[in-house]
Amino acid sequence: MSRAGQALRTSYLVASVAGVLFFALSVALLGAWPARLLEAQTAAMAPEKPLEPTTSEKRGRAIYAREGCAYCHTQQIRYLHADMARFGAPTLAWETRRDTPHLWGTRRIGPDLSRVGGARSLDWHYAHLYAPRAIVASSVMPGYPALFDGGPDRPRQDARDLVAYLESLGRARELAGPEGEARAREGCNCPDDEMQQMAFEGPLNAHPARAVRTREAAPALSGGDLARGQALYGRHCATCHGTTGAGDGPGARSLVPAPAKLAEHVYTTERLADVMWHGVAGSAMPAWRDYSTGDRAALALAVQALSAPRPEPDVPAHLVGLGREVYTANCVQCHGANGDGRGSAADKLTMAPANFTVQRLSLTEAVRVLREGVHGSPMAPWTTRLTDAERLAAAHYVRSLFRMTPAATEAR
Amino acid sequence: MSVAFGLVAAWQLIAPDLGRDVAWLGWGRVRYAHTQGIMLGWLANAFFAFLYHAVPILTGRPVTSARLGVWIFALWNFAVMAPGWMLVLAGVSQPLEWAEFPLVVDVVAILALALAGVQFLPGFFRRGVESLYVSSWYIIGGLVFTLLSYPMGNVVPEFLPGAAGAAISGLWIHDAVGLFVTPMALAIIYFVIPAATGRPVFSHFLSMLGFWLLFFLYPLNGTHHYVYSVIPMAAQLTAIVASALLGVTVVIVVTNLFLSMRGAGLLPADPALRFVGTGTFFYVIVSLQGSAQAQMSVNQTVHFTDWVVAHSHMAMLGFASFAAAGGLVHAWQRMPEARYNARAITWAYWMLVIGLVGMVVDLTIGGLVQGELWKSGAPWIDSVTASRVYWVARAHIGSILAAGFIALLVGLTTGPRGAGMVVRPAPAADGHDEVAPRLAPVTEAL
Repeated sequence: MSRAGQALRTSYLVASVAGVLFFALSVALLGAWPARLLEAQTAAMAPEKPLEPTTSEKRGRAIYAREGCAYCHTQQIRYLHADMARFGAPTLAWETRRDTPHLWGTRRIGPDLSRVGGARSLDWHYAHLYAPRAIVASSVMPGYPALFDGGPDRPRQDARDLVAYLESLGRARELAGPEGEARAREGCNCPDDEMQQMAFEGPLNAHPARAVRTREAAPALSGGDLARGQALYGRHCATCHGTTGAGDGPGARSLVPAPAKLAEHVYTTERLADVMWHGVAGSAMPAWRDYSTGDRAALALAVQALSAPRPEPDVPAHLVGLGREVYTANCVQCHGANGDGRGSAADKLTMAPANFTVQRLSLTEAVRVLREGVHGSPMAPWTTRLTDAERLAAAHYVRSLFRMTPAATEAR
Repeated sequence: MSVAFGLVAAWQLIAPDLGRDVAWLGWGRVRYAHTQGIMLGWLANAFFAFLYHAVPILTGRPVTSARLGVWIFALWNFAVMAPGWMLVLAGVSQPLEWAEFPLVVDVVAILALALAGVQFLPGFFRRGVESLYVSSWYIIGGLVFTLLSYPMGNVVPEFLPGAAGAAISGLWIHDAVGLFVTPMALAIIYFVIPAATGRPVFSHFLSMLGFWLLFFLYPLNGTHHYVYSVIPMAAQLTAIVASALLGVTVVIVVTNLFLSMRGAGLLPADPALRFVGTGTFFYVIVSLQGSAQAQMSVNQTVHFTDWVVAHSHMAMLGFASFAAAGGLVHAWQRMPEARYNARAITWAYWMLVIGLVGMVVDLTIGGLVQGELWKSGAPWIDSVTASRVYWVARAHIGSILAAGFIALLVGLTTGPRGAGMVVRPAPAADGHDEVAPRLAPVTEAL
């Protein structure tokens, strides 16, 4: 063999060994070393007793994996302010320690789901999984009717497991609370690492749809473009509340409590601002915080326009005074003495009692609610305790508590 | 089949209730079948087929055993692809990108790859490594490194939690392309160009430089799929730097390839050369795009969007499928028994070019729109409604691509036998000698 051939042979041998070493290097440097570091990080930053997944959640996870949910929904909030503003705190290593195999995903067609737990109500999830477009009109998500027994209100075990899994996403860190965050920050030991510090800034869960029960005032709304509001209403609200506001949209069927019959109510702008900003905790009504102030103002106008002005019914003479008596005896504990929904028991209820000063039901609707209650809320039917006349009187009375603000009057 | 799965998935994005009551037609499952099918069903089969043409010429001796070949074919198609597809559609899968076939199928795939090593590699070593042409190196590298990376990417992340699993998964996403698809595609391109033009490659030195740099750098790219994640920044930065260097390497490789093709014209008359030339063009575009999108400033906008879907189509279709099609046509031109339909091949070429360019342009713009809308803070659903027009276009363009692949199938299965022949079969038993001198081994250049 020639000298050149021999030299070439040797250099190829060196290169081949180097090639294998580069592969080994990639596995070591980009696989094994990060794995060890992440393991150490997990040990140092995880809460002392982190929440473990239940059997149902594990089964739900398998369904999520099987159906390729991760190919449209990522589970990885990046260390980027744009991601954090939309989804919340960046994903920490310890949060993914039971995530085997990982479901991070590399494509977002739908939103990231890392912190979707608590962002939606269970009935919303069921209705949405069964027929996504019955809830979100322009969604492109496939429906999963096979997880149900013929209807969104009849979830099979599979649907329950999947929703249990979705509800668990982000919950471990949330439940770890401020102590958990403090422990993580300390375990991170990264005071000078600007990027890692981002994990602890901003709200933990920034889901714009998450309903919050609070008395904090929502950003005020004024003005607004009615035509735009009606277009937005048609696109986003009609699926549940119905095109005419009768509460009979395609998504309404399985929601408990049922979507509000907007046409049967007169709302102050403040009330609508509050609902769109905070959602209605305990119901499927999400918050719409990701919509601009202008859009929310426009939507408020569109909702107010749904209830046609009608002549105010007079209180029959024999019922004057009775309403107040009935209300004081039966309703104040929840709805409060002046009807503002701040009774002594209000805070203990899953859903905030109605505040009659900011919304007025039509008389027929008020009578119906008193007779039938609000299924899925603490409001019970009052047929055993109250007579027909008493319920009618109470209906008249709660309607009289409404205080129309100048803004709403003007809008109407 | 794989293109059909892709087409179904594309249509489901604009008609989401398509296949609503058929569990196995769920979007996620169909997508699993699409990508696994393209890589393992279409490309791997095409590569193996080409190896049966190229390896005897490159080594000067037949492959190990014809019977082993039947076994590899049967294993790959009836024990990997068929059960793989059936299982993912039935809901038995692993949610790891480019690795969705379940473990039981992975075991068979690894066995089949090992057998392919036994089938194709011994001849190279008997010939002596000092006189191997660059295609031989790519074939050796592709088979050996796939055997290493396949178990790493398909098995390990199944058992590693969260972030650590994602790190390994990211490596495989790139190794599948870089250590399996790319070497095989380049082996074809390097083989077809000199064989079709009748001239040796421009520079054997550059070809070998490119080969080794690719194998050094490709494995270090993987973590760029998880930029801005909790995976240690040092690892992310390593991958980002390696991605930039990889772009440089590809420029070296492609310069060499284009210089080897000089004189053949922009649109070579030989359809095989036309396919590989176009594949080379898309290779440099997709690689430079890859280097750019790994950079943090670009990545933060385009990551998670359709931009990346466009990128992977340019890689797997524009680069690898064009190379594979070129390789098959080239082999068909040298088989007197093979049916060949020249018109269908021409149709296939144009439909694939138009479809691919259309899809890449469409999804790249769509991806930028999505990225900007996400940054703007607009409600999420706005990015979905804004995407619709691009998805509608993509679904229709997908039909052109499907037609292109059907035309390719027609071109290789209909028409008179031997109609594609450009080389008369050699009179002697050592028929390989007719082509082999043009693939001048490196030593002759020294």
